[in-house]
Amino acid sequence: MSNLTRRDMLRAFGVVSATSMLAACGGSNGGSNGGDNADGAADGGEAAAAQSIAVCLSSEPDNIDPALNSAVDGATMIVHLFAGLAKWEKDGEAFVIAPDCATELPEPVDNGDGTYTYTYTLRDGLKWSDGQDLTAADFEFAMKRASSADLGADYGYLYEVVDGYSEDGSSEINVTAVDEKTLQIVTTVVVPYWDELLAFPTFFPVREDVVANEAWATDPSTYISNGAYTMTGWDHNSVITVEKNPNYYDADAITMDKIEFYLSDDANNMLANFENGTWQLIDDVPTNEIAALKEKYPEEFVVAGQIGTYYVNWNVNKNILPAGSTLTGVEAENARAEIRRAIGLLFDRNYIVEEIGQAGQVPASSFVSMGLTEPDGSEFYENAGDAAANGYVGYYDVSADALESNFNQAVETLKKYYTFDEATGMFTDFPTIDYLYNTSEGHKAIGEYLASALAQVGITMNLENQEWNTFLNTRKAGDYTVARNGWLCDYNDPISMLDMWVSNSGNNDCQFGKGDHASVAAYSIDCTDLGYDLKVENGTWADTFDAVIALVKSEGDNSKRMALMHKAEDLLMSTGAICPLYFYTDLYMISQSVQGFFSIPLGYKFFHYTTVA
Amino acid sequence: MDSKTLRYIAKRIVMAIVTLWAVITVTFFVMKAVPGDPFASEKAVTPAARAALEAKYGLDKPLMEQYKNYLVGALHFDFGPSLKVRGREVTAIILDGMRTSAKLGIIALLIATVTGIVLGSIAALRRNTIFDKFIMVITTAFVSMPSFIMGSLLLILFAIKLKWLPANGAQPGGLILPVITLSLYPMSYITRLTRSSMLDVLGQDYIRTAKAKGVSERNVIMKHALKNSLIPVITYFGPELAYIVTGSLVVEQIFAVPGIGRYFVSSITGRDYPLIMGTTIVLASLIVIMNLVSDIMYKVVDPRINLE
Repeated sequence: MSNLTRRDMLRAFGVVSATSMLAACGGSNGGSNGGDNADGAADGGEAAAAQSIAVCLSSEPDNIDPALNSAVDGATMIVHLFAGLAKWEKDGEAFVIAPDCATELPEPVDNGDGTYTYTYTLRDGLKWSDGQDLTAADFEFAMKRASSADLGADYGYLYEVVDGYSEDGSSEINVTAVDEKTLQIVTTVVVPYWDELLAFPTFFPVREDVVANEAWATDPSTYISNGAYTMTGWDHNSVITVEKNPNYYDADAITMDKIEFYLSDDANNMLANFENGTWQLIDDVPTNEIAALKEKYPEEFVVAGQIGTYYVNWNVNKNILPAGSTLTGVEAENARAEIRRAIGLLFDRNYIVEEIGQAGQVPASSFVSMGLTEPDGSEFYENAGDAAANGYVGYYDVSADALESNFNQAVETLKKYYTFDEATGMFTDFPTIDYLYNTSEGHKAIGEYLASALAQVGITMNLENQEWNTFLNTRKAGDYTVARNGWLCDYNDPISMLDMWVSNSGNNDCQFGKGDHASVAAYSIDCTDLGYDLKVENGTWADTFDAVIALVKSEGDNSKRMALMHKAEDLLMSTGAICPLYFYTDLYMISQSVQGFFSIPLGYKFFHYTTVA
Repeated sequence: MDSKTLRYIAKRIVMAIVTLWAVITVTFFVMKAVPGDPFASEKAVTPAARAALEAKYGLDKPLMEQYKNYLVGALHFDFGPSLKVRGREVTAIILDGMRTSAKLGIIALLIATVTGIVLGSIAALRRNTIFDKFIMVITTAFVSMPSFIMGSLLLILFAIKLKWLPANGAQPGGLILPVITLSLYPMSYITRLTRSSMLDVLGQDYIRTAKAKGVSERNVIMKHALKNSLIPVITYFGPELAYIVTGSLVVEQIFAVPGIGRYFVSSITGRDYPLIMGTTIVLASLIVIMNLVSDIMYKVVDPRINLE
C-alpha cells in the first residue's frame, strides 16, 4: 500500500519517512528473529503471562475500514484486525503470501472466453469477532462494496483486473459466493500479483449489517472483525488497543496477546517514549537526530526496504528552450527531452542521500523502484536500461566516479541549445525555471541542493513551496515547470509505477499526452520482437506509451509483461521528464526486548508473533 | 444587576451573534476559495468516485446553497460529518478533543492565575528586594521562552532523564508536564501584570487614606489594593481562557496530548471543510463569550465602570 494520504501528509510536514529496498541493509530485528516464530509461538502461548506491546506508528488513522483505508499505518492495524483470503508471512528471509481464510490459493481456470476464474474454499469454522459465522457471501459483499464507485475508495481501482469492473460504477464486479464456503472471482487476465492483492486490506471481508452503520469503524463496540485481533479500545487521538481474538482459526500461533497502537505523529515525542522505555517500536524518528541515533542505537535503529522512488518531474507542456529558439513541434519536444535528460546528469545523488536524506536511501538511476522483482528473482531495476552496453545499471551512471563525466556530458549537450560563456563556464540564456515542492524541511533541502547544482552552470531555478493540498492541486493541474514527486508502490509489480503515466491517468503529473503534448508525434515503440504487432514510429504518447501499457495489462505471461514494461520505462525515461533521485527506505526503531517481529517492503508491520522479554 | 447592565448584556449578546455570523461567513467563503479539496491525495481517485463523494457530502451543490445549508445546520448545532474521518461527526471530534484540551487549559490557567496573583502581589509589596528581582527575572525568562522550548526541556528532564513522568499525554500522569508547560507563560504574564497594577494602586490616595485611618496592612491589601489591581488581570484572563482551553497546538504536539489543538491545523491542510468550520466556530464563540464575561466582571469588581 502506498503511503497515501497520511504518510504523505507527514512527509509534507517534513517528517522523514521511508526508504530503500534494502532488505540487506535492514539487518532488521525481524530478520534475525523471524525464523523462531513458530516455536516461540507455541511455547509462549501456553506458559508465559499475557504478553503486551506498545508501539507508535503514526497519528490517529483517518480510517480503518479495510476498504477505505489508504495509509500504511492503517494497513498495519487492519492486517492485525482482519483476515483476508491470503496473508503475508515471513519464510526465512523471504516474504511470502500464504492462505489465510482460504484453505489454499489455487491457480485460475481459463474459461476460454478471455476470462479466468479463481475459486477459493474457505476454512471450516471461520467466525467474526462477535461469534457469527463468516461466509463466502461476506467476501462477495465486501469486494463489491470496495470496488463500487459509490464508496469512493482510494483503492477501488485495484479491482480493475476483475471482470465487470467499471470506473464509473455502471456495472458490478464478477464475484460470486457459490455456497457458504466457496467463492469465485472472475478476472479478465491472469494477474501475476493476484495473491498479493488478496492480502491487501481492500480485498478483506466486512459484514453487511456491520458496515450499514457508517460510523462502524470509529468505535470498538461496532468494530466487528475476523482477524487475529479484535479492537477492545479506542481512545481517539491517544491509543487503539487490540487483543487476541479467541475466534481466530489460528489463535494458538499468535504469541502477542495485546497490542497498544499509540497515536502520535510527533517524531520527537515518539523518540522520548521510546527512550524512556514506554514504547517498544516507533515508526518515525526526528530527521536531525538520525546520525546520532544510528550511533547511539546501532541495534534498535533499523533501515528497512520500502518500494518507492523519490523523483523530480517536469511538465512536458512547459517550454524551456531559449527565447529565440526556432524549434517547433516534434523537433522542439525532442530537444526538450535531450535538455531534461542532460539536466538530470548534473545532480549528485550520492550527496543527496548521504548528506540530506541520511536514511540509507539508494541513489536511483531508473524510475521503477528497487525491490520490485522479475519472475526469475532478479530486481527489475537492475535490468533497466542497457547495462551490457553502458556498463552501468539504469539510464545513467549514479556512481560517485561518474560525476565528472556526467557533468561534462550534460554541458556538451546543453551547449547545442544554449549560449555558453567559456570564460565563466555558465549558460547565459537558459530561461529561469521554478521548482515546486510541498512545504517540508527535507524537500526544501533537496530543492536547495538541486538549485545550487544548476546554478553552477548558470541556470537559475527558483524554489516555490506550497502547502500540501494546494501543491497536489497545482501539480495535478500542470501549473508548474519542475516539481518534487514521489511514489510508493501498492503491490509488488512495476505496473503500479508505470501505469500512472498513461494519458488519462489521474496521477499523470508530467501531463503526458495532455494539452499540446497530445498531438506531439515524437515517440516510437517496437514490440514485434516479443511477438506483438505493436510497432509505431513517430507516434503520439497515446499511440505508444498508452498502447504498451494496455498490452502489459492484457498479458498473462509474466516474463513477457516484464519485457514490455522495460520497453515502457525506456520510453518514459527517454522523455527526460522523470528525473529519479533515490529509492525510499523505511526507518523505525525497535526495542531489543522484542523478538519475532517483521515488516514487509510495502511497509506493513507484523506483531502477531512477537514476544517482549 | 440593574436594568442598564442587563440591557448592555443583551446588546452584547446580539453583537456576539452578529460577530459569529460574520466569522462563519468569512471563513466559509475563504475556505472554499483556497485551492485543493478534501479528496485530494497523492494517488488520484477516479472521477466517478470523486463525484460520488462530492454528491454524498453536498459539495456538488452551488456555493450559496452549501452556505445556506451550513448555516441552517449550524443553527441546529449540526456541524456535519468530517470529510476526512469517515463516519465521525464534527461535533463528536470537537467534544472529544475539547474534553482533554479544556481540562488541560482550565487547570493550567487556574494554577497560572493563583500563582501569578500571589507572586505578583508579593513582588509589588516587596518591591526592589531580592525577592522581587528574582521573580521578575524568572517571569521575564518564562514570558520570552517559547512553549516548544520549555516543553522540550521539561520533556527531556522529567520524561527521559529522570523518568519521573510519562512523555505521552495519554498515559496516567501524562497531563502533568503539559499543564506545567502551558501554565508558565500566563503565570508569568499575570505575575507581571499584577505587580505593576498593584504598584499603581498602592500609590493611590485611597490607599493612603485607608492606612491613615488605621486600617490594618492586611485589610488594606486584601480589601482595597488587591481587588482594584486585578482589573487588568481580568482583561487578560477572558481571552486567554478562550485560547488556552481550545488547546495549544505546540504543547499538545510535544506531549502527544489528544486535544483539539491539532485540528486547527490538520483540518485546514486536509481541507476538511466541516471541521475547519467547527473548530473556527468553537474558538470564535469562546473568545466572544469570554470577552463578554470579562466585561461583566469589570462591573462586578469596579462598580464605577460604566458599561454603556
